[in-house]
Amino acid sequence: MSSARRAAWGAPGLALTLGGCAWDAPMSTVIARSDLARDILHVYGIITWVSVGIALVVGFGIAWVLVRFRERPGTPQIPAQVRGHTLLEIAWTIVPALILLAIAIPTIQVIFRTQPQAAPRDSLDVTVYGHQWWWEFQYPTLEVVTANELHVPVGRRVTLTLQGPDVIHSFWVPRLGGKRDVVPGRLNRITFTADTPGEYRGQCAEFCGVSHANMAMRVIVDTPDAFARWVTQQKKDPAETVGLAAEGKAIFARSACVGCHTIRGVSSGTLGPDLTTFGSRGTLAAGILPVSVDTVAAWLKNPPALKPDAKMPALGLTDAQARAVATYLIELK
Amino acid sequence: MSADSAGHALHAPALVGAAAPSTVWSWLTTVDHKRIGILYGVSAFAFFLLGGVEALLIRLQLAVPNNTLVSAQTYNALFTMHGTTMIFLAIMPLNAMFFNYLVPLLIGARDVAFPRLNALSYWIFLAGGLVLNASLLTGTPPDVGWFGYANLTSLHYSPGLNVDFWIFALQILGVSSVMAAINFIVTILNMRAPGMSMMRMPIFVWMILVVQFLIALAFPPITVGLLFLMFDRFFGTHFYDVAAGADLHLWQHLFWIFGHPEVYILILPAFGIVSEVLPTFARKPLFGAPVMIYSGVLIGFFGFGVWSHHMFAAGMGPVADSAFSIATMLIAIPTGVKIFNWLATLWGGSIRPTTALHFAVGLVGLFTIGGLSGVMHASPPVDLQQTDSYFVVAHLHYVLIGGSLFGLFAGIYYWWPKMTGRLLSEGLGRLSFWLMFVGFNLAFFPQHYLGALGMPRRIYTYRADEGWNAANLASTIGAFGIALAVLVFMINAWRSLRRGAPAPADPWDGRTLEWRTSSPPPPHDFDVIPPIYGRDSFWREKYGPRRGPVPGGAALAEPHGAHSGIHLPAPSHWPLLIALGMLIAAVGGLTHVALVVVGGLWTVYAVVRLALEHHRTPEHAEQTGVLGLDHRKMSMWVFLGSECFFFGTLVATYLAYKGRSVVGPAPHEIFNIPLTSLSTFDLLMSSLLMVLALAAVQRGDQKRAQLWLFGTAFFGLIFLGFQAYEFTDFVHHGFTIQRNLFGSTFFLLTGLHGTHVAIGVFWLLSLWVLALRGRLAAVDATKVEIAGLYWHFVDVVWIAIFTLVYLIP
Amino acid sequence: MSAEHSGEQPTVGTYLLVALVLTLVTALEVGVIYVRRLAPIIVPLLIAMSAAKFALVALFYMHLRYDSRVLTFLFVGPLILASGLAVALMTLTGAFLVFGR
Repeated sequence: MSSARRAAWGAPGLALTLGGCAWDAPMSTVIARSDLARDILHVYGIITWVSVGIALVVGFGIAWVLVRFRERPGTPQIPAQVRGHTLLEIAWTIVPALILLAIAIPTIQVIFRTQPQAAPRDSLDVTVYGHQWWWEFQYPTLEVVTANELHVPVGRRVTLTLQGPDVIHSFWVPRLGGKRDVVPGRLNRITFTADTPGEYRGQCAEFCGVSHANMAMRVIVDTPDAFARWVTQQKKDPAETVGLAAEGKAIFARSACVGCHTIRGVSSGTLGPDLTTFGSRGTLAAGILPVSVDTVAAWLKNPPALKPDAKMPALGLTDAQARAVATYLIELK
Repeated sequence: MSADSAGHALHAPALVGAAAPSTVWSWLTTVDHKRIGILYGVSAFAFFLLGGVEALLIRLQLAVPNNTLVSAQTYNALFTMHGTTMIFLAIMPLNAMFFNYLVPLLIGARDVAFPRLNALSYWIFLAGGLVLNASLLTGTPPDVGWFGYANLTSLHYSPGLNVDFWIFALQILGVSSVMAAINFIVTILNMRAPGMSMMRMPIFVWMILVVQFLIALAFPPITVGLLFLMFDRFFGTHFYDVAAGADLHLWQHLFWIFGHPEVYILILPAFGIVSEVLPTFARKPLFGAPVMIYSGVLIGFFGFGVWSHHMFAAGMGPVADSAFSIATMLIAIPTGVKIFNWLATLWGGSIRPTTALHFAVGLVGLFTIGGLSGVMHASPPVDLQQTDSYFVVAHLHYVLIGGSLFGLFAGIYYWWPKMTGRLLSEGLGRLSFWLMFVGFNLAFFPQHYLGALGMPRRIYTYRADEGWNAANLASTIGAFGIALAVLVFMINAWRSLRRGAPAPADPWDGRTLEWRTSSPPPPHDFDVIPPIYGRDSFWREKYGPRRGPVPGGAALAEPHGAHSGIHLPAPSHWPLLIALGMLIAAVGGLTHVALVVVGGLWTVYAVVRLALEHHRTPEHAEQTGVLGLDHRKMSMWVFLGSECFFFGTLVATYLAYKGRSVVGPAPHEIFNIPLTSLSTFDLLMSSLLMVLALAAVQRGDQKRAQLWLFGTAFFGLIFLGFQAYEFTDFVHHGFTIQRNLFGSTFFLLTGLHGTHVAIGVFWLLSLWVLALRGRLAAVDATKVEIAGLYWHFVDVVWIAIFTLVYLIP
Repeated sequence: MSAEHSGEQPTVGTYLLVALVLTLVTALEVGVIYVRRLAPIIVPLLIAMSAAKFALVALFYMHLRYDSRVLTFLFVGPLILASGLAVALMTLTGAFLVFGR
């Protein structure tokens, strides 16, 4: 019996070890790549080790008591009827309180350090709009508008102001910090300084409707030079098109696309993502598919098939038309 | 005839309820707490299986990435229904099964304070469960998550009937729960056997008492929040309308002010069960019983102060975050104290490893894990990574399955012999336990990883390169392990009922009073009200030491002759009919307003019949309990305490939204203070007339009683007239409930108050009619008194409204 | 018949007196909102006056003064808790704008 019990305790222990191998998942919360994420991870570490310690103590306590005080033929049928012990009660009230104090202090410190009362003056400001089911990013000081992929410079403070035109969403890029809800009618903020160039995955973290699962994003942390190049590229007018791309542009310009999307010099719809530099993005449809002529064409033909209840309807394009438009969009760098 | 260990003669019926008739009609009209408990248990278990199937479908969909087993829409409905079903239709009513069956037995009573209202609570619960699941039949199940955040739940973003089903079901279930809560509070306070002081009550009863207060006080805020949502969806109000100036945090606050006490409602009964099971099978008293009582009370009380720890990502600001973080950490202290006391109970004991003990010990271990992940969530920085991810899904299932469900199974295995008169197989029981323990840990421990690896919750699928595949597959396998465990339990139960060994009165050498009567008990529970020798009274009776009566408390029971003078409450069909009326009204709300009217009228008629059913039954005239208080009077005060939360929420919302309207008019532009002063004076005077009416009834003065009762009602009608005039005048000036935020909050608050006045007028006129017919005598004074308490309270709420809404600038 | 009264019983005279006080305080309440001088303290003043009325009705008309303490606890406990929650809710939704964002 007691060996069976030990085995049962071993099962989760095994899961623990096996699972421990793969901490570097793209959305990992225990790999920190910004000051905000590091501050959080610091407290996370303290609390985790304290919790694991307490769990082990209690676990072994349970196992030991069960084995030691099991009913046996020789032991008295009715043991001493001990009712309590005041000193013990005091001890196991005070000790947990002290442990909690040890957790509370860094907690409160980090809360105030990471939530400045006013927006920091020297930061790069980005306004984030959470839509059903895509992300819009506007850089007011740089006059750049893009969607679903956010570029920020490494080593520079960034302040995201979260706004919501429809329902509540939550902006979450784990390696860059904790999440913050997008609440229509309120302005929530996230402030961080990324410390390592690279690509970081994010996803909406507040249930927002049918395709909540399909509202991912990428944050690209650039070196200062790369960021400057990216900004310049974003503000350039689209190049002239030839061949299949030109065909695609023509189809785009005469279709319902223009009612929802902006492509500088071609259309100015604002219901859907700005597509002026669509080709410079590595993913489409809010980070759920990689960009290629095939995937973009499939999306154009039938968006709700890939993203249930997507607001973008199927426009009745033929395969050839879809590929033409896809070619055009991918060339928009 | 068999006898218990104390030599008392007992019945030994072979089947459940054998001493009572077993026709379908007898079950539909039963008011016996034991039968009502069984009704709750069977219904709850059926809903539990339904919720379990929903869970298995969820896990099958998530077993592999990019799965297409169910559509996104179906998946979103699955997790919404799974959560709502498990919380409201499975765990809560399984708890209610034990409350109903055991509370009278544990305190040495024969039934609850209001047996017919008890039955009514069950039938209303069933109606609510049917309404929720009818949405599956119409293909429009709610799909917004079990906590349905506004404004996703608005008509604009959720246009179908889905959210409406959810609203109506929850409101119906709320009525059931609050009614039962009041019933049990009065029962526990007022119907304990002589000699059973509060501190001598079993800890399970204490936990139940705390839970009933939590229910009575925590449901009104969600009732109000749901009313706001319903009015937004049906009548165009603006409570959650951002464009009109509303704050979407309001829904979250109202939901979680209910939602956090709700989780203590779910777990404290399980804690209570463990506090009965461990001592029995360790053969020692519960270690630190008074501390266990105090910690339970503290957890319940402080549970009202931590709700915004569900909102750390919502952007409340660092001060609010810090305050709720500290409060949440503080609650961990009394909770941890319980764990240590349970361990100390086992320490030094002579432990018998029955199935019930396995589940109870399982709770101690698994709830420790769940509680620790909860402490992690208590730190906002850490929570900002963990909330809305599978980490919190792991946490909540460790406390709800590892905690509540394991506790419930401990109770089921422990009290099965008492409730059915049969024994369950210990072998199958232990098999079921291990399947469930291993399956549960396999299902949910990996979810801590999934959360740490960034998997959000409520996603119907995930991409193959996220690194979440192995843990999801393991979790799905574990879920089927849980299902297998439940299946084994069902086989065990079936075999036990068909041909299980008959159970003696006291199979476990128990410590509490339920083991002192037969298995199952006769309809009247105890042949003789048991003598009380202290906490663990039955143990003391068997093994000593026997304590005397509590100084200043009631004397020990004087034995009656067996069965002599025992009045068993008569069955009644009115509870069933009242619930049916409410069901019809709810269906009407979803289909056609005519049905709302029909259902409403039917309900009112059935309520009046219920109220007058025993107007002249002699045994019902005197209902004084051990505290020297009338049951009905006590219950009215508890209800008024609950109403403080109801109106408090409405007033707080009015004041919170004051000044936020985007368009006019503003209060000072439209209020007619002189007119409202007159109506206020009128209502105050009506209270004077009411006390005169009560005095008249008490001294048997029929003429004066009729005069003052009518006068009170008349003054109430005048108040309603003033209000009707005011509303009409406002509407003529273009100020409607849809006009702006001020309109929404003002009209709903004062409209609901006016509804309360109207109900009071109806009540008073009914009493007046009784008086006219000579059917209201001095013996009925308590009935007039409680009508008066209600009336005065409605007056007192108006005093607050007049000042806070009309006068304050 | 019912044993819950602690001996003392209010008379009709008491009831009438309470009614008179309620009327007077109501009149005062309506009156003070027109007095400019009191504007800075009008809110706590009004709340105090309405609390007094509330208490009078509860203590005398609802008989709490003469009844068992149990009933007072059953009502006043939730009343205080509800009031606290109402204030907390108003604070969190910015009604007092006490804590800047």
